[in-house]
Amino acid sequence: MIITEQKGFDEILGSLEGCERVFLVGCGVCAATWGTGGEKETREMAARLADAGKDCTGWVVTEDATCDARTTRRLLRRNRDPVGLADGLLVLACGAGVQTVASLVDVPVYPALNTLFLARLQNLRVCDERCRLCGSCILAETAAICPVTLCPKGLMNGPCGGYEDGHCEVDRERDCAWVAIYERMEALGQRERFMVIHEPKDWREDRHPGFINKRDEKEAGDRKQEAGAGGRR
Amino acid sequence: MSGLAESIAVGKFVVTAELGPPKGTDVAPLLEMAELLRDHVDAINVTDQQSSVMMLGSLAVCHLLHRRGIEPVFQVTCRDRNRIALQSDLLSAAVLHIENVLCLTGDHVTLGDHPQAKPVFDLDSVTLLQAVKRLQEGHDLAGKPLQGVPTFFPGAVVSPAANPLGPQIAKMEKKVAAGAKFFQTQAVYDPPQFEAFVRQVEYLNVPILVGIIPLKSAGMARFMNRNVAGVNVPERLIEEIGASGRPDRPAKAVEIAARLIREMRGMCQGVHFMTLGWERYVPQLLEEAGLGQGAGSG
Repeated sequence: MIITEQKGFDEILGSLEGCERVFLVGCGVCAATWGTGGEKETREMAARLADAGKDCTGWVVTEDATCDARTTRRLLRRNRDPVGLADGLLVLACGAGVQTVASLVDVPVYPALNTLFLARLQNLRVCDERCRLCGSCILAETAAICPVTLCPKGLMNGPCGGYEDGHCEVDRERDCAWVAIYERMEALGQRERFMVIHEPKDWREDRHPGFINKRDEKEAGDRKQEAGAGGRR
Repeated sequence: MSGLAESIAVGKFVVTAELGPPKGTDVAPLLEMAELLRDHVDAINVTDQQSSVMMLGSLAVCHLLHRRGIEPVFQVTCRDRNRIALQSDLLSAAVLHIENVLCLTGDHVTLGDHPQAKPVFDLDSVTLLQAVKRLQEGHDLAGKPLQGVPTFFPGAVVSPAANPLGPQIAKMEKKVAAGAKFFQTQAVYDPPQFEAFVRQVEYLNVPILVGIIPLKSAGMARFMNRNVAGVNVPERLIEEIGASGRPDRPAKAVEIAARLIREMRGMCQGVHFMTLGWERYVPQLLEEAGLGQGAGSG
């Protein structure tokens, strides 16, 4: 789940300066579950903006994730009247959702949230970051606990000398990721996996900004196959 | 072969001490300390931005020591340099005739005086040791051949009082597999605990230099217990140093440290002093520990 937090209302008002008629878009997936951009929060935001003197032309919450351009495009089309009246859109979604909306309209689009991280949701109040989207998953070798995310040094070969009572040198409230990995491996009878020396991470796999076009990939794959069958091109 | 490597190889009980470069360019006090230690130690470690505090570089100070005929141990951390800079600095050390390299992960930047800095950690202590090994084999981490091959005596660190100890020992084993030829330990204050540790890592068959930080006061001991990972000063030692008045404290600190060394010298291959400004007591300390003669890198 993508974890977000609402920006301060003053910051939101500041970014909406010069924008009098506002249409709001909330996200029905991550932001709705985490309570930052679902129906309740979007309605509340609309009310606060109205109190602050803005003219809210309407609001919607995407049923799917706002970052799915296919469904968000259809939703915005169905709401073309109130969207068309607005001279700006405020989006209660992650950064991907905001930019998806921006790619579908011709008026300025503003974020209502800060996007924090990709997390495990323990319950509706507690979540913890679990993935850095680093592009080369090593969870098979680390007892399904990610050191790239959970170790502040992103170490690949075991704990540094800074852990104390199993806690991290950077934050004594936090568990040391590598002590946790070691203990889970021991419990799973996989201590020998700990002894594998991992080469330094290949940062070329950290493909940001990411872009994938599966059609291009298929064509490239087909070309490769043809070349393989027909000799050198 | 470095002098330190040779001394360890012939089974001599070796003595190393650590010096921290200054914040600034005035190296006179540091060189004075080094002169004081010259005839009493086999080599002097030079720290690499210890505790993530920005200081004069370890490589430059190692060079100054080497020029004076004092054998340095170049401490290298992974905090501030990526693999390109680390390998380059290792080659630089080699052309300056610096062979002893202590490979460390390094403290996180948030612990130091530039907490806003971007931490690097492109390599870790294990892969840094591997980089040293590959350079010695004539190629770099990218597999490219070297024009002129360096010689190193790579070492690493271990915390015998780490809690839990299991992952610490497992990582030590990885460091040995990656090429570590000697270990210097975090400060040890509990000889029976150290003995148990040494027995547990006997299978690694690697020289260990036990870390000694003389206790300057009860306050310092408590501070380390609270703030320094892997340091555990027993209450009875805190009481012992606390019971002596301020003027008697250096003598007491020397007495305690010498006693610790006497108790542990049979368990390991050397001692590593981290004296934090009390370098002047090292000769007396060695004398009391029964190690008065023999060392010296001159």
